[in-house]
Amino acid sequence: MFSTIYIEEEVLESERVKALLDRFSQVPQVVCGRYGEVFNRKSQNFRLQKKAPALILAKKHGKKVLAAPSGYGYNDSKSYYFSHMLNCVYDCRYCFLQGMYSSANYVLFVNFDDFEEAIEEKIKENNGGGVYYSGYDCDSLALEPVSNFCRHFLPVFRRHPNAELEIRTKSTQVRCLLDTEVVSNCVIAMSFTTSEAAQQWEHKVPSIEKRLEALHKLQLAGWKVAIRFEPLILGSEGMAPYESLFTQIFSKLDVQKLHSVSSGLFRMPVDFHKRIVKLYPDEELYARPTETVDGMIALKSAHESSHLLAIEKLLLSYVSSEQYYRCA
Amino acid sequence: MIENAKYPMPVNIVVAHGLEAKALITILGLERDQASSEFMEYSNSTMLRLIVSGMGKEAIAAAVSYLGKRQALEGAEIRAWLNIGIAGHRDAPIGSAWLGNKITDKGSGTSAYPPQLIEGFQVGSVVTVEEPETLYPLTAAYEMEASAFYAEATKYSTAELVQVFKVISDNLENPISEIDLQTIPDLIAAQAPQIISLINGMSEIAVGHNSSQQLPSCYHEICSKIHLTVSQQLLLKRLCQRYKALGLEDELRRVTDLNASSARQLIQQLTECIDRISEI
Repeated sequence: MFSTIYIEEEVLESERVKALLDRFSQVPQVVCGRYGEVFNRKSQNFRLQKKAPALILAKKHGKKVLAAPSGYGYNDSKSYYFSHMLNCVYDCRYCFLQGMYSSANYVLFVNFDDFEEAIEEKIKENNGGGVYYSGYDCDSLALEPVSNFCRHFLPVFRRHPNAELEIRTKSTQVRCLLDTEVVSNCVIAMSFTTSEAAQQWEHKVPSIEKRLEALHKLQLAGWKVAIRFEPLILGSEGMAPYESLFTQIFSKLDVQKLHSVSSGLFRMPVDFHKRIVKLYPDEELYARPTETVDGMIALKSAHESSHLLAIEKLLLSYVSSEQYYRCA
Repeated sequence: MIENAKYPMPVNIVVAHGLEAKALITILGLERDQASSEFMEYSNSTMLRLIVSGMGKEAIAAAVSYLGKRQALEGAEIRAWLNIGIAGHRDAPIGSAWLGNKITDKGSGTSAYPPQLIEGFQVGSVVTVEEPETLYPLTAAYEMEASAFYAEATKYSTAELVQVFKVISDNLENPISEIDLQTIPDLIAAQAPQIISLINGMSEIAVGHNSSQQLPSCYHEICSKIHLTVSQQLLLKRLCQRYKALGLEDELRRVTDLNASSARQLIQQLTECIDRISEI
């Protein structure tokens, strides 16, 4: 599962770390000073490291809960994100993480108690409220059997019913949720692209069918689920792939009970895009014409607005306008 | 035998001592490269190259720098770098060997962590010292070159393709002062299957990487015909990559055959054409 486990000296004695090292005793273990000695060094290659990623167990210093980028969320409440992990077990070619880090190793911050404290402080600042996103720099559920993220953080939000937690994922690792009493202020938001896009760009990601099945089980168990159509990458096939995807999803799930549905176009900071192009000069997606607006790069398309409107029109034939939002 | 391999092996092997080279020359089917004057060099038809640096950090850094700079002039493709050598350990058996997954420079106290992409090898720590170590205080292979090798080689390649492989030649029971130097080639030769497997693994990664970065032949033809500034070369390179990624190499050739009057015009024509064809 991991080529190597690197452990910061400072967390060697942590119970969470000891348990993980026991569990993965067959994986070579290397003690390091700080995780930055291993992660994101110069002369590292994200694409090559994806062949055999390592796990780095570290302590997160500094700010642990950050303001979410504007337009990220689904309502006007103050929104934040926190990352107990950096990097993702999946290998989606459109993902901005490829340009954000030069290393594909997974960093798992094991000081969950410090995150919990920071989240509770922020909740207090917001009079008990706020929206908290997990899964911005990683997939929150994909490494659940290793991280026990849900086991730790769901009780935090159960104690603060007016604060909302959104767990963004493409994973079908929902056993931890199904085995737990529903947390009514927690939303499991599953990302989907069309079947064609998934096949072309989403490597190691569970199939659309399996993700839908996981969401269906969660919905039946009473969990709030949401759908994220991100990133929308318009192709020459027109609307047909979206018609097929929407039919597949909305015929399987109870649409009335969906917490929210959103869409977001393919966008990323120019610097990230430049780095990804260097890693994947042979990738069709990054060979397409682009345009830059306010430091963000997008695919150039004369028909983007009309395509997006058509997709939204189609979406709104399934879900209500109250359920839908467009991610900036 | 590795010299019969039908695929390229873009790997530079760096050893400190001629005795470490001796077995490798046989195992890898290498021949003395007469053109080199500064260092003893060996190579074969698969692109494998071996250089004998001399002992110590300064010597190995100089050898890596010498070879790296020369190869950088020969082309843009990256090569893997592998340091093979003997080391001492407190209690590891003589003849045991591992890939270094942590290299600590005893002098500076800093450590480097070569990413481990290739499975199936024993791994362990390596400590680089200025003088031969006789007490072996840490559970690590003690030697005299790895930290400088890694620091220098990562200037010419990506860290994933820079590795050190150490064979234990001395321990507390068999101290360094009693090493019979003539046994060194045998210690290295006993690791032949591991060394060949490592070279194969590193070659595969390097070749895969270089293949993904390969430019259409058209690029080189244009560069030889038209004068391009450095920034124009970069623009043209990216345009050629885009044509290739989009499966439009025929179109690339068609546009370049239009005989543009200048590099600027050619780049403009190529840009307009690809943007027109590929815009959704």
